[in-house]
Amino acid sequence: MLAIKLAFKNIIGAGFRTFLNIAVLSFAFVVIIWHNGVIDGWNKQARRDTIEWEIGRGQLWHPTFDPLDFLSYQDAHAPLSETVQALVEEGQLTPILIAQASAFPQGRMQGVILKGIDPGQKILKIPSGLLEARNGQIPALIGSRMADDIRMKEGDQLLIRWRDKNGTFDALEVIIAGVFDCNVPTIDGGQIWLPLESLRQMLNMPGEATLLVAGENYTGGDAEPWVFRSQDYLLADLDLIIQSKKGGGAIIYGLLLVIALLAIFDTQVLSIFRRQKEIGTYIALGMTRWQVVGIFTVEGSVYSILAILLGALYGAPLLWYTAKVGWALPAASTDMGISIAERIYPVYGAGLIAATIVLVVLASTIVSFLPARKIARLNPTDALKGKIQ
Amino acid sequence: MESIIQIEKLTKRFPVGTGEFTALKDINLAFGKGEFTGFVGPSGSGKTTLLNIIGSLDTPTEGEVTVLGHSIAHLTHRQSAKLRNQHLGFIFQTYNLFPVYTVYENVEFALLLQQMPAAERRKAVLDALEWVGLTDKAHSRPAQLSGGEGQRVAIARAMVKRPAIMLADEPTANLDSKNSHHILQTMAQLNKELKTTFLFATHDEKVMAYLRRIISLEDGRVVKDEAMTPQRQPGV
Repeated sequence: MLAIKLAFKNIIGAGFRTFLNIAVLSFAFVVIIWHNGVIDGWNKQARRDTIEWEIGRGQLWHPTFDPLDFLSYQDAHAPLSETVQALVEEGQLTPILIAQASAFPQGRMQGVILKGIDPGQKILKIPSGLLEARNGQIPALIGSRMADDIRMKEGDQLLIRWRDKNGTFDALEVIIAGVFDCNVPTIDGGQIWLPLESLRQMLNMPGEATLLVAGENYTGGDAEPWVFRSQDYLLADLDLIIQSKKGGGAIIYGLLLVIALLAIFDTQVLSIFRRQKEIGTYIALGMTRWQVVGIFTVEGSVYSILAILLGALYGAPLLWYTAKVGWALPAASTDMGISIAERIYPVYGAGLIAATIVLVVLASTIVSFLPARKIARLNPTDALKGKIQ
Repeated sequence: MESIIQIEKLTKRFPVGTGEFTALKDINLAFGKGEFTGFVGPSGSGKTTLLNIIGSLDTPTEGEVTVLGHSIAHLTHRQSAKLRNQHLGFIFQTYNLFPVYTVYENVEFALLLQQMPAAERRKAVLDALEWVGLTDKAHSRPAQLSGGEGQRVAIARAMVKRPAIMLADEPTANLDSKNSHHILQTMAQLNKELKTTFLFATHDEKVMAYLRRIISLEDGRVVKDEAMTPQRQPGV
């Protein structure tokens, strides 16, 4: 307690130097929280959107289906068993049929993925209701990225060509029934959503599906021949990307923290050199060397506490504001192939703030302790004479 | 009279380059309670080194120094810190006040180390400040004080814990004549009323005028140890 009281007095007494140290450290403190908040916000948003738009509560895959191997799509389909069909009818599962195809927007040929979905499904947020049949034409849904790519808008006709189950080519024009905005690129880029029954007919695969998306109430696991893929499995790639993003961010704010800590280290080294007589006097008045080391170490911790208080003063409203209005990402970021919203709303959890406080206090204490150890070895008579080298 | 400090065959050597410098050689002395004694001699004669060893800030190279029954050579850091905190008071030439603390806090410091209860501590600090006549400066910072006032704060800080022994290293070197006498009067009064043993390292004749025993050092040896009739007395 005495050490804390003395440390407070000493560093307040140091005036402008103290202010500079705590200003730099508080900046690092706020940036660390902000950056982690953005990553956490992105993480939550990406997971939420991916769950709501693409993977539901998990998926049942055809055993040969590999989403990264387009060639596997040709054979990755099977009819639904009665049990599975019953679950579909109960709304626990919704089947998706997938096939490779080519589209011809404005006379250009472009490889696309056709995905058949039940227009009445309620499990995914895809606006499949727009796929209800109209005027004998097959309606198609595309995402806004795809619409930009092929320069199509609602009401436009698009020629597509595919090969059915037997390898026979066929083609027809679909009408763009809607363009949806979604942050999940894997259901948007290069994909055309069609009514499930239409696609089944086109591919000559009645009653078949490539995968089934599970809804809230689905409790079963595998359903022969379908293999259940859990949310964790399906989100593993996203988690890896977020982890690597966190790692990259840690380097940046680590550097920032190092600069701030270097300032404290430098101040402490100078302080020990300048305050030799004071150190000698502490010892002469009856403090042990390690008690004096304690004072100088606690001074470093007090820097961090003041930095946190200062950071809270300007950081709290700033972070609250960023959490409220979000952070708009540049247009190019939507092409990154991962789920990124146009605007990310940072999430500042209590755990994040507590962990950052512990990190800053601990790091400041350590860099203060390192130079202060020298005091433990000094001769008090040399200190009183100001002769420490 | 019973000795509270005993020095037997004390030698102190310091390493200098590849060789050694002998600061004190074969010193034998004893001091009783309530002495008002000074070590005098030219610079480098070993006065400060002797005070530092008595104050357990340094240790003998050879010989034995016993202070209040504690052998200085055999004390651990913690034990010597406790001895200084409870029984020894230091007064330095440059006062060594803590610049960021007020006068009150400077004086209070030693008592905080003793973990004295707050009310008792406050009374002791105010008494000490009254002793040195600085009650009205309690909330000033050292930078706002004159040299004489600064040294009086240092005396108050040293005496607030009522130590058995006060060690004063050139306490008047930075003071003018008037302030020097004021300080010395204060210390002589403390010595008279509290029976505190005062040991000075000095070559200031103003200090010598108050001493009752003068030990002359030269090249680390005691060359003269004589009892004196003080020319100046407290309050005179």
